[in-house]
Amino acid sequence: MTLEPHDAGGARRHRADEHWDRRRDLERQLHDGPALRIAALTLRLGLLARKARDGTGDLQHDIEDLQGELHIVLQELRAIADRIYPRLLQEAGLGPALRELASTLPVPVRVDAAAGRFDPSVEGVAYFAVLDVLEDLRPATRTVDITVRRDDDGLALDLRNVDTGQGVTVGDRIRWLGGAIEIVGGGVGTIKVRIPCE
Amino acid sequence: MRVALAEDGALFREGLVMLLEAAGHEVVGCTADGDSLIELLARVPADVAILDIRMPPEPDGGLSTAERLRAAHPGLGLLFLSHYAEAHYLMRVLRIGTESIGYRLKEKVGSVDVLSDTLTRIRDREIVIEPLLARRLVERPSANRRDVVASLSEREVSVLRLMAEGRANGGIAGQLFVTPKAVEKHIANIFTKLGLPSDAAEHHRRVLAVLTYLRSQQDGT
Repeated sequence: MTLEPHDAGGARRHRADEHWDRRRDLERQLHDGPALRIAALTLRLGLLARKARDGTGDLQHDIEDLQGELHIVLQELRAIADRIYPRLLQEAGLGPALRELASTLPVPVRVDAAAGRFDPSVEGVAYFAVLDVLEDLRPATRTVDITVRRDDDGLALDLRNVDTGQGVTVGDRIRWLGGAIEIVGGGVGTIKVRIPCE
Repeated sequence: MRVALAEDGALFREGLVMLLEAAGHEVVGCTADGDSLIELLARVPADVAILDIRMPPEPDGGLSTAERLRAAHPGLGLLFLSHYAEAHYLMRVLRIGTESIGYRLKEKVGSVDVLSDTLTRIRDREIVIEPLLARRLVERPSANRRDVVASLSEREVSVLRLMAEGRANGGIAGQLFVTPKAVEKHIANIFTKLGLPSDAAEHHRRVLAVLTYLRSQQDGT
Protein backbone atom coordinates (compact mmCIF):
# COMPACT_ATOMS: atom_id res chain seq x y z
CA MET A 1 0.00 0.00 0.00
CA THR A 2 1.43 3.34 -1.04
CA LEU A 3 0.12 6.66 0.27
CA GLU A 4 0.36 9.86 -1.64
CA PRO A 5 2.38 12.46 0.29
CA HIS A 6 0.24 14.56 2.65
CA ASP A 7 -0.49 17.90 1.04
CA ALA A 8 -2.40 20.14 3.45
CA GLY A 9 -2.51 23.06 1.03
CA GLY A 10 -3.45 21.07 -2.06
CA ALA A 11 -6.64 21.74 -3.93
CA ARG A 12 -8.03 18.27 -3.37
CA ARG A 13 -7.35 18.43 0.35
CA HIS A 14 -8.93 21.87 0.47
CA ARG A 15 -12.04 20.57 -1.24
CA ALA A 16 -12.34 17.66 1.16
CA ASP A 17 -11.96 19.95 4.19
CA GLU A 18 -14.63 22.21 2.78
CA HIS A 19 -16.98 19.31 2.24
CA TRP A 20 -16.76 18.15 5.86
CA ASP A 21 -16.93 21.73 7.16
CA ARG A 22 -20.22 22.11 5.35
CA ARG A 23 -21.62 18.93 6.86
CA ARG A 24 -20.57 20.00 10.36
CA ASP A 25 -22.14 23.36 9.72
CA LEU A 26 -25.47 21.83 8.68
CA GLU A 27 -25.51 19.63 11.78
CA ARG A 28 -24.88 22.66 13.95
CA GLN A 29 -27.66 24.61 12.24
CA LEU A 30 -30.09 21.76 12.87
CA HIS A 31 -29.11 21.62 16.50
CA ASP A 32 -29.01 25.35 17.24
CA GLY A 33 -32.19 26.13 15.33
CA PRO A 34 -35.10 23.69 15.01
CA ALA A 35 -33.97 21.14 17.61
CA LEU A 36 -33.61 23.70 20.39
CA ARG A 37 -36.81 25.42 19.39
CA ILE A 38 -38.81 22.18 19.48
CA ALA A 39 -37.30 21.25 22.85
CA ALA A 40 -38.39 24.63 24.21
CA LEU A 41 -41.87 24.11 22.75
CA THR A 42 -42.36 20.93 24.78
CA LEU A 43 -41.78 23.01 27.91
CA ARG A 44 -44.22 25.66 26.73
CA LEU A 45 -46.82 22.92 26.15
CA GLY A 46 -46.22 21.62 29.67
CA LEU A 47 -46.91 25.08 30.99
CA LEU A 48 -50.02 25.30 28.86
CA ALA A 49 -51.31 22.00 30.25
CA ARG A 50 -50.96 23.42 33.74
CA LYS A 51 -52.70 26.66 32.78
CA ALA A 52 -55.54 24.69 31.14
CA ARG A 53 -56.00 22.61 34.29
CA ASP A 54 -56.07 25.69 36.52
CA GLY A 55 -58.25 27.60 34.09
CA THR A 56 -55.84 30.55 34.10
CA GLY A 57 -54.27 32.57 31.31
CA ASP A 58 -55.32 33.32 27.78
CA LEU A 59 -55.31 29.89 26.19
CA GLN A 60 -56.20 31.07 22.71
CA HIS A 61 -53.38 33.61 22.66
CA ASP A 62 -50.88 31.03 23.95
CA ILE A 63 -51.85 28.54 21.27
CA GLU A 64 -51.50 31.12 18.51
CA ASP A 65 -48.06 31.90 19.91
CA LEU A 66 -47.09 28.23 19.70
CA GLN A 67 -48.32 28.06 16.10
CA GLY A 68 -46.11 31.04 15.32
CA GLU A 69 -43.14 29.23 16.87
CA LEU A 70 -43.89 26.13 14.78
CA HIS A 71 -43.95 28.27 11.64
CA ILE A 72 -40.45 29.53 12.53
CA VAL A 73 -39.25 25.95 13.08
CA LEU A 74 -40.54 24.98 9.63
CA GLN A 75 -38.91 28.02 8.01
CA GLU A 76 -35.59 27.07 9.61
CA LEU A 77 -35.93 23.49 8.42
CA ARG A 78 -36.70 24.69 4.89
CA ALA A 79 -33.63 26.90 4.91
CA ILE A 80 -31.44 23.98 6.01
CA ALA A 81 -33.02 21.59 3.50
CA ASP A 82 -32.23 24.14 0.77
CA ARG A 83 -28.58 23.99 1.86
CA ILE A 84 -28.59 20.25 1.25
CA TYR A 85 -30.30 20.41 -2.16
CA PRO A 86 -32.91 23.01 -3.11
CA ARG A 87 -36.18 21.39 -4.02
CA LEU A 88 -36.85 23.93 -6.76
CA LEU A 89 -33.49 23.09 -8.36
CA GLN A 90 -34.49 19.46 -8.50
CA GLU A 91 -37.97 20.13 -9.84
CA ALA A 92 -37.50 23.11 -12.12
CA GLY A 93 -33.78 23.55 -12.79
CA LEU A 94 -31.15 26.27 -12.48
CA GLY A 95 -33.13 29.25 -13.76
CA PRO A 96 -36.08 29.07 -11.34
CA ALA A 97 -33.82 28.05 -8.43
CA LEU A 98 -31.41 30.95 -8.99
CA ARG A 99 -34.30 33.39 -9.41
CA GLU A 100 -35.79 32.26 -6.12
CA LEU A 101 -32.37 32.57 -4.47
CA ALA A 102 -31.96 36.07 -5.91
CA SER A 103 -35.32 37.10 -4.45
CA THR A 104 -34.14 36.28 -0.93
CA LEU A 105 -30.87 38.25 -1.05
CA PRO A 106 -30.33 41.86 -0.04
CA VAL A 107 -28.08 42.53 -3.07
CA PRO A 108 -29.86 43.17 -6.37
CA VAL A 109 -29.32 40.20 -8.68
CA ARG A 110 -30.61 39.79 -12.22
CA VAL A 111 -30.92 36.26 -13.54
CA ASP A 112 -31.14 35.53 -17.24
CA ALA A 113 -31.47 31.80 -17.75
CA ALA A 114 -32.63 29.85 -20.76
CA ALA A 115 -35.12 27.08 -20.07
CA GLY A 116 -33.76 23.54 -20.21
CA ARG A 117 -32.10 21.16 -17.81
CA PHE A 118 -28.56 19.92 -17.16
CA ASP A 119 -27.31 16.82 -15.35
CA PRO A 120 -28.23 16.89 -11.65
CA SER A 121 -24.56 17.04 -10.61
CA VAL A 122 -23.93 19.97 -12.97
CA GLU A 123 -26.98 21.84 -11.71
CA GLY A 124 -26.00 21.16 -8.09
CA VAL A 125 -22.41 22.28 -8.49
CA ALA A 126 -23.36 25.38 -10.47
CA TYR A 127 -26.06 26.39 -7.96
CA PHE A 128 -23.80 26.10 -4.93
CA ALA A 129 -20.93 27.86 -6.72
CA VAL A 130 -23.26 30.82 -7.39
CA LEU A 131 -24.47 30.70 -3.78
CA ASP A 132 -20.84 30.96 -2.54
CA VAL A 133 -20.20 33.98 -4.71
CA LEU A 134 -23.44 35.78 -3.85
CA GLU A 135 -23.13 35.21 -0.13
CA ASP A 136 -19.68 36.67 -0.16
CA LEU A 137 -20.78 39.92 -1.79
CA ARG A 138 -20.47 43.10 0.17
CA PRO A 139 -23.62 45.22 0.08
CA ALA A 140 -23.19 47.17 -3.12
CA THR A 141 -25.42 49.14 -5.39
CA ARG A 142 -24.22 47.41 -8.55
CA THR A 143 -26.60 44.79 -9.80
CA VAL A 144 -25.09 41.35 -10.16
CA ASP A 145 -25.84 39.83 -13.55
CA ILE A 146 -26.09 36.07 -13.89
CA THR A 147 -26.57 34.36 -17.22
CA VAL A 148 -27.07 30.65 -17.74
CA ARG A 149 -26.79 29.22 -21.25
CA ARG A 150 -26.14 25.95 -22.98
CA ASP A 151 -23.30 26.05 -25.51
CA ASP A 152 -21.71 23.32 -27.62
CA ASP A 153 -19.73 21.93 -24.68
CA GLY A 154 -22.36 22.12 -21.96
CA LEU A 155 -23.18 24.70 -19.32
CA ALA A 156 -22.02 28.29 -19.76
CA LEU A 157 -22.51 30.37 -16.61
CA ASP A 158 -21.37 34.01 -16.37
CA LEU A 159 -21.37 36.02 -13.14
CA ARG A 160 -20.89 39.77 -13.71
CA ASN A 161 -20.14 42.44 -11.08
CA VAL A 162 -18.94 39.95 -8.48
CA ASP A 163 -15.83 39.65 -6.32
CA THR A 164 -13.37 37.86 -8.59
CA GLY A 165 -11.48 36.70 -5.50
CA GLN A 166 -14.22 34.05 -5.25
CA GLY A 167 -12.95 32.55 -8.51
CA VAL A 168 -10.68 30.16 -6.62
CA THR A 169 -13.57 28.66 -4.62
CA VAL A 170 -15.69 28.37 -7.75
CA GLY A 171 -12.80 26.72 -9.58
CA ASP A 172 -12.40 24.19 -6.76
CA ARG A 173 -16.06 23.30 -6.89
CA ILE A 174 -16.32 22.74 -10.63
CA ARG A 175 -12.94 21.14 -11.33
CA TRP A 176 -14.03 17.63 -10.39
CA LEU A 177 -16.69 17.81 -13.11
CA GLY A 178 -14.00 18.73 -15.62
CA GLY A 179 -15.11 22.36 -15.68
CA ALA A 180 -13.01 25.46 -16.16
CA ILE A 181 -13.23 29.10 -15.14
CA GLU A 182 -11.99 32.34 -16.58
CA ILE A 183 -11.72 35.56 -14.60
CA VAL A 184 -12.14 38.88 -16.36
CA GLY A 185 -11.06 42.01 -14.47
CA GLY A 186 -9.68 42.31 -10.95
CA GLY A 187 -11.60 43.16 -7.77
CA VAL A 188 -15.14 43.46 -9.06
CA GLY A 189 -15.35 41.70 -12.40
CA THR A 190 -16.69 38.68 -14.20
CA ILE A 191 -16.31 34.99 -13.43
CA LYS A 192 -17.01 32.77 -16.43
CA VAL A 193 -17.75 29.14 -15.69
CA ARG A 194 -17.89 26.32 -18.23
CA ILE A 195 -18.89 22.78 -17.30
CA PRO A 196 -18.95 20.05 -19.95
CA CYS A 197 -22.09 17.91 -20.07
CA GLU A 198 -24.51 16.25 -22.44
CA MET B 1 -69.15 25.24 2.60
CA ARG B 2 -68.64 21.95 0.74
CA VAL B 3 -64.96 21.13 0.56
CA ALA B 4 -63.05 18.28 -1.14
CA LEU B 5 -59.37 17.73 -0.54
CA ALA B 6 -56.39 15.81 -1.89
CA GLU B 7 -53.20 15.47 0.12
CA ASP B 8 -50.80 12.52 0.12
CA GLY B 9 -49.57 13.00 3.68
CA ALA B 10 -52.06 11.08 5.86
CA LEU B 11 -51.30 13.00 9.06
CA PHE B 12 -51.79 16.42 7.53
CA ARG B 13 -54.86 15.21 5.61
CA GLU B 14 -56.57 13.96 8.76
CA GLY B 15 -55.67 17.12 10.66
CA LEU B 16 -57.11 19.25 7.89
CA VAL B 17 -60.37 17.26 7.81
CA MET B 18 -60.76 17.72 11.57
CA LEU B 19 -60.09 21.45 11.37
CA LEU B 20 -62.49 21.89 8.43
CA GLU B 21 -65.24 20.06 10.30
CA ALA B 22 -64.56 22.06 13.46
CA ALA B 23 -64.96 25.19 11.32
CA GLY B 24 -68.42 23.94 10.31
CA HIS B 25 -67.57 22.98 6.72
CA GLU B 26 -68.80 19.83 5.04
CA VAL B 27 -65.93 17.64 3.81
CA VAL B 28 -67.49 15.89 0.81
CA GLY B 29 -64.45 13.65 0.34
CA CYS B 30 -60.72 13.39 0.72
CA THR B 31 -58.16 11.55 -1.38
CA ALA B 32 -54.41 10.93 -1.38
CA ASP B 33 -53.80 11.89 -5.02
CA GLY B 34 -55.04 14.11 -7.82
CA ASP B 35 -56.59 11.47 -10.08
CA SER B 36 -58.85 10.18 -7.29
CA LEU B 37 -59.92 13.74 -6.54
CA ILE B 38 -60.98 14.22 -10.15
CA GLU B 39 -63.03 11.01 -10.01
CA LEU B 40 -64.59 12.09 -6.74
CA LEU B 41 -65.56 15.52 -8.02
CA ALA B 42 -67.12 14.03 -11.14
CA ARG B 43 -69.69 12.44 -8.81
CA VAL B 44 -69.97 14.86 -5.86
CA PRO B 45 -70.34 18.63 -6.08
CA ALA B 46 -68.15 20.94 -3.97
CA ASP B 47 -67.54 24.67 -3.54
CA VAL B 48 -63.77 24.53 -3.05
CA ALA B 49 -61.13 21.87 -3.66
CA ILE B 50 -58.00 21.94 -1.49
CA LEU B 51 -54.90 20.53 -3.17
CA ASP B 52 -51.39 19.77 -2.02
CA ILE B 53 -49.05 21.03 -4.77
CA ARG B 54 -46.58 18.18 -4.41
CA MET B 55 -48.53 14.93 -4.57
CA PRO B 56 -49.18 12.15 -7.12
CA PRO B 57 -49.30 12.25 -10.08
CA GLU B 58 -45.66 13.36 -9.65
CA PRO B 59 -43.94 15.71 -9.57
CA ASP B 60 -46.46 18.46 -8.84
CA GLY B 61 -49.79 16.69 -9.17
CA GLY B 62 -51.66 19.49 -7.45
CA LEU B 63 -51.05 21.82 -10.38
CA SER B 64 -51.87 19.36 -13.17
CA THR B 65 -54.96 18.19 -11.29
CA ALA B 66 -56.10 21.77 -10.81
CA GLU B 67 -55.81 22.50 -14.53
CA ARG B 68 -58.11 19.57 -15.28
CA LEU B 69 -60.53 20.57 -12.51
CA ARG B 70 -60.70 24.16 -13.74
CA ALA B 71 -61.60 22.92 -17.22
CA ALA B 72 -64.26 20.47 -15.96
CA HIS B 73 -65.74 22.66 -13.19
CA PRO B 74 -65.07 26.36 -13.90
CA GLY B 75 -67.02 27.48 -10.83
CA LEU B 76 -65.06 25.34 -8.39
CA GLY B 77 -62.69 27.26 -6.12
CA LEU B 78 -59.12 25.97 -5.86
CA LEU B 79 -56.87 26.30 -2.82
CA PHE B 80 -53.25 25.13 -3.08
CA LEU B 81 -51.38 24.29 0.08
CA SER B 82 -47.64 23.90 0.04
CA HIS B 83 -44.60 23.58 2.27
CA TYR B 84 -43.02 26.37 0.27
CA ALA B 85 -44.15 29.90 -0.52
CA GLU B 86 -42.28 30.52 -3.75
CA ALA B 87 -42.87 32.95 -6.58
CA HIS B 88 -42.12 30.22 -9.11
CA TYR B 89 -45.17 28.22 -8.00
CA LEU B 90 -47.29 31.32 -7.55
CA MET B 91 -46.79 32.21 -11.22
CA ARG B 92 -47.78 28.67 -12.21
CA VAL B 93 -50.89 28.91 -10.02
CA LEU B 94 -51.84 32.20 -11.66
CA ARG B 95 -51.58 30.61 -15.08
CA ILE B 96 -54.37 28.24 -14.05
CA GLY B 97 -56.56 31.17 -13.09
CA THR B 98 -56.78 34.49 -11.28
CA GLU B 99 -60.29 34.01 -9.91
CA SER B 100 -61.46 31.74 -7.08
CA ILE B 101 -57.96 30.53 -6.47
CA GLY B 102 -55.53 30.57 -3.56
CA TYR B 103 -51.96 29.61 -2.61
CA ARG B 104 -50.97 29.34 1.04
CA LEU B 105 -48.39 27.78 3.30
CA LYS B 106 -49.60 24.63 5.03
CA GLU B 107 -48.83 25.81 8.53
CA LYS B 108 -50.49 29.17 7.97
CA VAL B 109 -54.04 27.83 7.66
CA GLY B 110 -53.90 26.20 11.09
CA SER B 111 -56.73 28.14 12.68
CA VAL B 112 -60.48 27.99 12.13
CA ASP B 113 -60.61 31.74 11.45
CA VAL B 114 -57.80 31.86 8.90
CA LEU B 115 -58.96 28.71 7.15
CA SER B 116 -62.55 29.93 6.89
CA ASP B 117 -61.50 33.40 5.77
CA THR B 118 -59.30 31.87 3.05
CA LEU B 119 -62.08 29.56 1.83
CA THR B 120 -64.71 32.32 1.91
CA ARG B 121 -62.57 34.67 -0.16
CA ILE B 122 -61.98 31.92 -2.72
CA ARG B 123 -65.69 31.07 -2.90
CA ASP B 124 -66.37 34.80 -3.40
CA ARG B 125 -64.22 34.64 -6.55
CA GLU B 126 -61.25 36.37 -4.96
CA ILE B 127 -57.63 35.35 -5.17
CA VAL B 128 -55.72 34.58 -1.98
CA ILE B 129 -51.93 34.75 -1.91
CA GLU B 130 -49.79 33.79 1.07
CA PRO B 131 -49.07 37.12 2.82
CA LEU B 132 -45.45 36.11 3.52
CA LEU B 133 -44.84 35.69 -0.18
CA ALA B 134 -46.65 38.92 -1.09
CA ARG B 135 -44.52 40.78 1.43
CA ARG B 136 -41.31 39.29 0.05
CA LEU B 137 -42.25 40.19 -3.52
CA VAL B 138 -42.93 43.79 -2.53
CA GLU B 139 -39.85 44.14 -0.32
CA ARG B 140 -37.51 42.37 -2.75
CA PRO B 141 -38.80 43.04 -6.24
CA SER B 142 -36.61 42.14 -9.21
CA ALA B 143 -33.39 44.15 -9.52
CA ASN B 144 -34.57 46.69 -12.08
CA ARG B 145 -37.84 47.43 -10.23
CA ARG B 146 -36.31 48.33 -6.91
CA ASP B 147 -35.88 52.05 -7.53
CA VAL B 148 -39.48 52.51 -8.61
CA VAL B 149 -40.88 50.52 -5.68
CA ALA B 150 -38.58 52.50 -3.35
CA SER B 151 -40.22 55.72 -4.64
CA LEU B 152 -43.62 54.68 -3.24
CA SER B 153 -44.81 56.18 0.04
CA GLU B 154 -45.09 53.97 3.10
CA ARG B 155 -48.86 53.86 2.78
CA GLU B 156 -48.63 53.01 -0.92
CA VAL B 157 -46.28 50.11 -0.11
CA SER B 158 -48.85 48.78 2.39
CA VAL B 159 -51.56 49.00 -0.25
CA LEU B 160 -49.29 47.32 -2.82
CA ARG B 161 -48.59 44.47 -0.40
CA LEU B 162 -52.31 43.91 0.21
CA MET B 163 -52.95 44.02 -3.55
CA ALA B 164 -50.21 41.40 -3.96
CA GLU B 165 -52.06 39.28 -1.38
CA GLY B 166 -55.00 39.44 -3.77
CA ARG B 167 -57.23 41.59 -1.58
CA ALA B 168 -60.09 43.57 -3.07
CA ASN B 169 -60.51 47.30 -2.32
CA GLY B 170 -62.93 46.67 0.54
CA GLY B 171 -60.50 44.20 2.10
CA ILE B 172 -57.59 46.62 1.77
CA ALA B 173 -59.64 49.43 3.31
CA GLY B 174 -60.60 47.18 6.22
CA GLN B 175 -57.01 46.12 6.88
CA LEU B 176 -55.64 49.67 6.81
CA PHE B 177 -58.62 51.33 8.57
CA VAL B 178 -59.19 53.80 5.73
CA THR B 179 -62.12 54.44 3.38
CA PRO B 180 -62.46 52.53 0.09
CA LYS B 181 -62.27 55.93 -1.62
CA ALA B 182 -58.80 56.51 -0.13
CA VAL B 183 -57.74 53.05 -1.27
CA GLU B 184 -58.82 53.82 -4.83
CA LYS B 185 -56.73 56.98 -4.79
CA HIS B 186 -53.66 55.14 -3.52
CA ILE B 187 -54.09 52.45 -6.16
CA ALA B 188 -54.35 55.05 -8.92
CA ASN B 189 -51.13 56.66 -7.66
CA ILE B 190 -49.34 53.32 -7.48
CA PHE B 191 -50.36 52.41 -11.01
CA THR B 192 -49.14 55.78 -12.29
CA LYS B 193 -45.78 55.43 -10.54
CA LEU B 194 -45.28 51.86 -11.75
CA GLY B 195 -46.33 52.86 -15.25
CA LEU B 196 -49.03 50.19 -15.41
CA PRO B 197 -52.09 50.76 -17.61
CA SER B 198 -55.07 51.91 -15.59
CA ASP B 199 -57.35 49.30 -17.17
CA ALA B 200 -55.27 46.71 -15.30
CA ALA B 201 -56.60 48.19 -12.06
CA GLU B 202 -59.72 46.02 -12.31
CA HIS B 203 -59.48 43.55 -9.45
CA HIS B 204 -58.63 40.24 -11.07
CA ARG B 205 -56.34 41.67 -13.70
CA ARG B 206 -54.48 43.85 -11.28
CA VAL B 207 -53.17 41.00 -9.12
CA LEU B 208 -51.52 39.54 -12.19
CA ALA B 209 -50.34 42.96 -13.38
CA VAL B 210 -48.79 43.79 -10.01
CA LEU B 211 -47.11 40.43 -9.52
CA THR B 212 -45.80 40.30 -13.08
CA TYR B 213 -44.41 43.79 -12.58
CA LEU B 214 -42.58 42.85 -9.38
CA ARG B 215 -41.16 39.71 -10.94
CA SER B 216 -40.40 40.91 -14.44
CA GLN B 217 -36.92 40.71 -15.98
CA GLN B 218 -36.34 38.18 -13.29
CA ASP B 219 -38.65 35.58 -14.62
CA GLY B 220 -39.53 35.14 -18.25
CA THR B 221 -42.07 32.47 -17.39
